[in-house]
This record gives sequence, C-alpha cells and structure tokens, in this order.
Amino acid sequence: MVPPRLTGALRSFSNVSKQDDCMVEAYDLKAKRLKRQELFSKEGLTWKKVVQFFNQHLEKSAQQTASGELRNVLQAAQQIVGADFGQETIESAAVFLFKIFYNKDQVGHEETRAIRQMFGPFPSSAAGASCAAIGGLAALVDETKLETFVLAHSSNATSGCIPFGRNISFCFDSYALDYLEGLPWDSLEEDDTSLDF
Amino acid sequence: MASGKVPLDEQHVTEPCGAEGGERCLPALHPDRKEDRCFIAYRPPPIECSPALVGEFLEHAQFIADDLEWLLALPHDKFWCQVVFDESLQKCLDSYLHLAPRGLDPAMLPASPAVAEMQKRLHRSVFMTFLRMATHKESKENFITPAVFGEIIYNNYLFDIPKILDLCLLFGKGNSQLLHKMIENIFTQQPCYYNDLEEVVPTVIQVLDTILDRCGLQREGATASEPLKLGARARETPMSISEKDLGDLVLYLCDSCTTIHSFLDIFPLACSTFRSHDFVHRLASFYETVVSDMEQAVRKRSFEDKSLQDDLWRRVSHSRRKMAEIVHLLLQHTCLQPILEGSANIQIFVEDFLQTVTALLPEKRFLADYDEQFPVSDDISLLQQAFPSLDETRTSYILQGVLSAWESSGRKRPCPEHPKG
Repeated sequence: MVPPRLTGALRSFSNVSKQDDCMVEAYDLKAKRLKRQELFSKEGLTWKKVVQFFNQHLEKSAQQTASGELRNVLQAAQQIVGADFGQETIESAAVFLFKIFYNKDQVGHEETRAIRQMFGPFPSSAAGASCAAIGGLAALVDETKLETFVLAHSSNATSGCIPFGRNISFCFDSYALDYLEGLPWDSLEEDDTSLDF
Repeated sequence: MASGKVPLDEQHVTEPCGAEGGERCLPALHPDRKEDRCFIAYRPPPIECSPALVGEFLEHAQFIADDLEWLLALPHDKFWCQVVFDESLQKCLDSYLHLAPRGLDPAMLPASPAVAEMQKRLHRSVFMTFLRMATHKESKENFITPAVFGEIIYNNYLFDIPKILDLCLLFGKGNSQLLHKMIENIFTQQPCYYNDLEEVVPTVIQVLDTILDRCGLQREGATASEPLKLGARARETPMSISEKDLGDLVLYLCDSCTTIHSFLDIFPLACSTFRSHDFVHRLASFYETVVSDMEQAVRKRSFEDKSLQDDLWRRVSHSRRKMAEIVHLLLQHTCLQPILEGSANIQIFVEDFLQTVTALLPEKRFLADYDEQFPVSDDISLLQQAFPSLDETRTSYILQGVLSAWESSGRKRPCPEHPKG
C-alpha cells in the first residue's frame, strides 16, 4: 500500500498529467518472457549454426558423440520451455542454454537466475542435463575456436555503445526525517497524571 | 544509425523494407524505428522478506533493470524513438515514480541485501533515463533543436509537474545540482511548464485545505461557527478520527511539505509562482491552524504501538521544520536575494518583504517557530545594510510582533549569540 502522496493528488486533480492509469497495466511476466525469447531468437546465433560448427570442426568419429549431446541439449531445452511449444522455440531455447553453459562446468546461481528469467520456473534436472551435454560438446573442440564462434554470433543492436551516464557520478542518498524534537515523553507522563482524588 | 551535424528532428535514415530487399527513407524520429521491447511496470520491494516475495521482486526488477540498461546503451536516435513512441516505457518510468520507496516512507529499508542492491541498480537507471530525456544536446553530433525538444517532452508528457516533483523527492538529496540543470533546461526549452506550475499551485493549496477539512478545522474564510444539521455527525477532529486516518494525515502532511521543499530548493525559479498565489501566508495560516491540534492528538491519544506514536511525532516535527524552510526559501529567493544582489527595483523587494512579514504577525505559533530557525532580526539587519533608508517604525513593529509571538508561545526565545570581543 503506497502512503498518501502530494504528487498522487496533483496527478488526480490537476490537469497537467496524462490521464491514464499506469497501475492498470498488468504485471504480465509470461508475456514479457515470450517477448524476451523472441528478441533473443533474433540475436544471431541459431541452432543450425551450432550444429554446423560441430560438423565442421570434428572428425567423423567424434561427430557421433556430438550428435548425441546435441540431442540431449534439445531434449533438456524442451523440458525447460514446456511441451506446448514448437521446434523453433525449442531450438532457440537450446541456443540460449548453449550460450550460457559453453564455458561453465556446473549450474551456478547466475545460470539458474538467467534461465528462470528467460523461461520461468523450470526443472533443475533439465538445467543439469543441458549443462552436462554442452560441457561434453565443448570438450570435443578447441576452447578458443568455440569462444570465437560464440562471440562472433553474439552481436546485438547495442554492442559497442557506451551506456549513457556511465561516467556520471550518482548519489544514492535519500531524504530522511529531519525533526526538531523527539516526543517529550516526560511531559507526556505528567499530562497523564490523574488529579481526580 | 542516423548521424551528422544536423539535429535529430531533421535527420532521415534509409532502412531495409519488405522481403525483396527494398529500402525506404524515414525521418530519424519515427514510430516504425521503435523496438517492440514491452517494458513492464515497477513493483515496490516487498515489506516481508519471504524468499518467494523476494524472488518475485528480483525477477520483476531484473527485467526492468535490463531493459533500462539496454535503453541507455542505445544510440541517440534510437533512444529518442523509444522514449517518444514506446508507451510501455513511459508507463514503466511513471510506475517507478509513483511507487518507488522514498527515504521518508515508513519501513522503507528492504531487509534483503539482494533486494537493496537491485533497488539501487534500478534507482540509478531510472535517474539516468530521465537525465538523458532532459538533455537536448548529448554531444556535438547528437542533439535536438531546442524548440522541438521542448515540444517533444511537453506534448508526449515525458515530463510533467508531478513527475518533476517526484524526481526531486526521489533523487534530490544527493543529486541536486544535476536535477537543477535538468529542470532548468526543461523549463527553459518549454516555458509552458511555468503555466502548468501556475495551474498546480492551487491544487497544492487544495491539498492543505483537505488536510484541514479532515482534521475538522476551518480553512481561512470559512464560517467558523456554522451550525451542524440535526442528525449530522459531529465534526471529526485529530483526537476523534481513527488512528489509521490520523497516521495517513500525518504522512500526507509530511510528504507534501518535503516534496514542496525539495522542489523549491532544487528549482528556486519556481518560488515566484508559489508567491503569486499568496503561498507564504496560506502556508503560515495552515501551520497555525493545524500544527497544535495534530501535535496534541499525537501526544495525548493512547497508541497501542508506542513506536508509531513516536514516528508520527517526528513526522509532525519534520513537517513543521519543512514549512518554515519553505517560507524561508520563498522569501529568500523572491525578496532577499534580489535585494542583496542590488537589483534595480530594490525598493519594491524591500516593500514586499516588509508587507509579507507584517502579514505573518498574527500567525504567532508559526512566527515563533520560524524565527527560531531563521531569525527575522537577521534579515532585517541585512536589509538595513543593503537599504539604509529602511523605515525604522515598520521594522520595530515587526520585531515587536516577533517578540509578542514568542511570548504567546510560552517558550523562551534563544538569545542571539554575540562574538566574544
């Protein structure tokens, strides 16, 4: 519950603000996650490119192992996004998992947070399985090549831009109560003294 | 990306169009260049520290923080397309101004360090977004024609007076210089904000009247002894209203005084607009009418929670201090400062000061409290130095009135400190 505020009254009773209620807006995290997934799928790296990368950089003998691990990643991705989604969404989720785990040994707090942020609640076993499968894939190829491949496909609209305000110093202080005097408890007790003999 | 040493509002860009590799030319500032990002509205941190609520807050805030950081990293043209045409962004920023905890809010400190850290991240990003929105010239290459900038921010409600007041209260404590520059630029490039301020001040006065009404007190000019209709409920007073209502009134008073004070402190150019609505006298009269009753109610009512009683007392005391400071800011910037700066019409400012202070003499409780913080004798002595032909009869009358106010308050006036000779 927001305490009563002057600016609340000014918004309601003066004619200087846009008259719409921002509080009506739903806090729809599901829609937000879908939007995030959609934006991620446009970022550059696709599942097809991941598969191609392993096909190009592995000997025939290792390719079979890689195929198995790639299948495992897709399977884990399906468990994470849920059964209601098509192949495109599952592949996009697999790419997301690949980018998260290609240089990680285990599912840490940050990784869990990132997956949850993108897909919502998910079975932790699926995250573990995808991490293990991607670890298996990474072990098959040269570390530097893999790193270069992922970075080359990680460009997005804002890469290279310095965020506005990065060099502006900002103070986190906030106004606090600045009172003249505390409650005069002594006189309060005097006031309470009963004189009704 | 649009570029060149032409203002953004005059730039055009060529963008791919259709599946067949065609191209089209668009103004750099065009709705089609906005990204479909879907900003979400802000939720304040949970009061309770349960893992589920904390997790929910963090998840929610993470989206907003990521989106704002993305926005701040956009090139100038893309940033402005987003700001002007993305309604979800405006709602997100507005929800933050509405709901972000203020330093004065009861129990505002989030118990979880992760929540506090996230809140700080959001706080900074929101401020930087508003700062960028208030800047029409970001660099030699990236700028907007000042007059067009003024139209953009005003017509799209990127800033309005309540938002500016919220910004002052939320960020003013340690960022007053930056905020001053922002607000000054907004008002300079778009003078319509002065008209809006003119419209807002009567509503501020209405808020004070509402507090008086809720306390069952008559505002100035209302009939004092209007008989109650038969069967009508007796007028409520701070002693008789519910504890919650009293708490809300004190919070409302505290927030209102702090907001007005922070705004005038950061943007003194607004002082003359407040003065033109006789705000000094109205505030002093409000103080005179409401402070004693509120203090008495907080002191004498029996509260189950003594810490609440103590908190309310401090809030009334804080409000008293802020009201005196507001009056001081108004007098300082509209009378004293021009006198000290040797303005051309010095006599007009001297007369204004004397008349205003004389009009405050009947508000004895206010005057004594004001004089305690800002001795009237100091201002008069300053005036005497700057304007030697000051009418001594009038100044003596004022000083006598201040003394009388102290006597009525039953308190002892602190002796002025003299340097040891």
